[in-house]
Amino acid sequence: MPESRNSRLARPETLTAVGIIVVAAGFLVPTYDLRAISALLPAAMLIGLIVLSVFLLLADQRKASAGEDAAPMTTSPKRVIGAFLMIVSYALACDFVGFYISTVVTIPLVAWTFGYRSPVGLLIATVIVVGTIWAIFDFGMSQDFPTGRLWGR
Amino acid sequence: MYSDLLHALPDVFAWTNFAAVVIGVIAGIVVGAMPGLSATMAISVLVPFTFGLEPLVALGLMAGIYNGAMYGGAIPAVLLRIPGTPAAVATTFDGYPMAQKGEGGFALQVAVVSSSIGGIASAFALMLLAPPLSKVTLLFGPSEVFWVAVFGLASIIFLLGGNPIKGLISACFGVFVSVIGSDPIYGNDRFTFGQLEMLDGINIVILLVGLYALPPVIDLLETPLKTDGVNSSKLGTEPIWKALPRMNYWKTWLRGSFLGIWIGILPGAGGSMAAFMSYNEARRTSKHPETWGEGEPEGVAAAEVANNADTASALIPALTLGIPGTAVAAVMLGGLLVHGLQPGPMLFRDNPDIVFGFMWQFLFGAILLVLLGGSLATNSFARLLNLPRPLLGSVIIVLMLIGVYSIHGRMFDVYLMLGFGAIGWVMDRLKFPLPPVVLGLILGGFAEENLRLALRIGRGDPLVLFQNTTSLILVALTVAVVVGPTLKKRFIDSRKKA
Repeated sequence: MPESRNSRLARPETLTAVGIIVVAAGFLVPTYDLRAISALLPAAMLIGLIVLSVFLLLADQRKASAGEDAAPMTTSPKRVIGAFLMIVSYALACDFVGFYISTVVTIPLVAWTFGYRSPVGLLIATVIVVGTIWAIFDFGMSQDFPTGRLWGR
Repeated sequence: MYSDLLHALPDVFAWTNFAAVVIGVIAGIVVGAMPGLSATMAISVLVPFTFGLEPLVALGLMAGIYNGAMYGGAIPAVLLRIPGTPAAVATTFDGYPMAQKGEGGFALQVAVVSSSIGGIASAFALMLLAPPLSKVTLLFGPSEVFWVAVFGLASIIFLLGGNPIKGLISACFGVFVSVIGSDPIYGNDRFTFGQLEMLDGINIVILLVGLYALPPVIDLLETPLKTDGVNSSKLGTEPIWKALPRMNYWKTWLRGSFLGIWIGILPGAGGSMAAFMSYNEARRTSKHPETWGEGEPEGVAAAEVANNADTASALIPALTLGIPGTAVAAVMLGGLLVHGLQPGPMLFRDNPDIVFGFMWQFLFGAILLVLLGGSLATNSFARLLNLPRPLLGSVIIVLMLIGVYSIHGRMFDVYLMLGFGAIGWVMDRLKFPLPPVVLGLILGGFAEENLRLALRIGRGDPLVLFQNTTSLILVALTVAVVVGPTLKKRFIDSRKKA
């Protein structure tokens, strides 16, 4: 049975193996500037990663030749990408806009987007979480949070 | 040898240390009860918050969470047939049919009593076996320590099962991450790319949170879980003291405890295997095996006693040699490092009060399970299943950010954690094992330092690594661990063909 993907090279394990080879080879370059004893372990690990990834790639391609379909990494790619984007956006927002504003927006936004649609529940949860964080970390432990680069702080 | 154990006892009863265990057990049950969350994830998220705490408070929280989560996993296993933790799969076999018959409350009580017995047995095993083992390992020099690190990595890669190539890739990645930063001897930068934030290397907490907390959060948001709440509304729970006389499973508890302890000590095996083996053995020796799978309480007891009996015992190789038996134990090693406690023989010599106090906390955590998880509390914990997963996911995201940011007060660490999180998600989906990454990071620097020290002692001659009996035994064990599974597979295949 032929591989159902458009290209055998688009199989997740193949792509991962190629990615590891490229990145590990890139990291190998700076090892030439290190003393031999300093470079020993990192170079050994990087070469190991390259060799092992070649084995992984060959094994995966052999499976493709035998007609074995690769399992998809996710059944709902849009939700996964959306979740990643929201988490990264939250980190960026904390960095540039500040922790409290970003958190007050993110908790209900993430929960609403991914299926929890109770406005009262969202309000209560946001107040409890942000209030507890303020009471424990800010008030109780004097922990500093990002205040936002956009405001020059 | 055991006098330090008794000396550590008063410290454990300090109210802050004791309260930490209580809070940990409750938090652990909550985490274990939520499908998709695990003890590993909870401890990863917790570790950065423990920076400012006394070591025994932090370790008490971890011990409590570990014990609590192992039982908590039984709650959705019994009520929804969804194991809260991987170790609770075998609990679903008889727990769910019991819930369907309206005996969910009794099933959870059997689970909590069995979990407690398993945890107590495991804590005693840790107390009895770890001190003498640590005395032996105190005699190790640099070459032996190097081989212990290599043996530890090899064990977790090859005994974990699955694809050894993926295990090796995970370990290489972990060891590579451990060398980022300043060279410990010459001080030159390695792979920092001019970033001052990376001169001290990658903090283990950043890696732990990224690898173990971000992928479950993505899972929570990816797959909405609908619960009908039917079984949790008809638990039929009676007070636990009334239910105890109905539990006459001493043989099963004894067998399951031994199996769990033994499997916990073996690197890479873990609670799922212990629970399955205990369940199968109990069923095989049962007088009425035909009732198993249809709601036999002894099946729940067999699975739960074994998956809790591997908790503290997994720390025997972790505390004495620095080789964790399970993923949670690997994360706990990270927690010890955060408090400047290097796992290994020196831990017992330099910090006896803390390490032995930690063992007592495991014992008390196991005892507290019955008190906190019994009757009324079981009903409350069962209702946790109705918590909306997207809301839970969004709260964990916030906690992850606070935890990682608070390590050094800089956003750079948060971005680094997100990078590790993305790598962790890909690894998780492609079934690359994660424990070798953590172990690689813990043991990589340790192995390099001792390798270089041994080579200096031997004036650059690599044969110095093979010049004493202990090193040779460790080399032989490493070879056995690497070659053993392949030989065993070939032997089984040849017998099948014959």
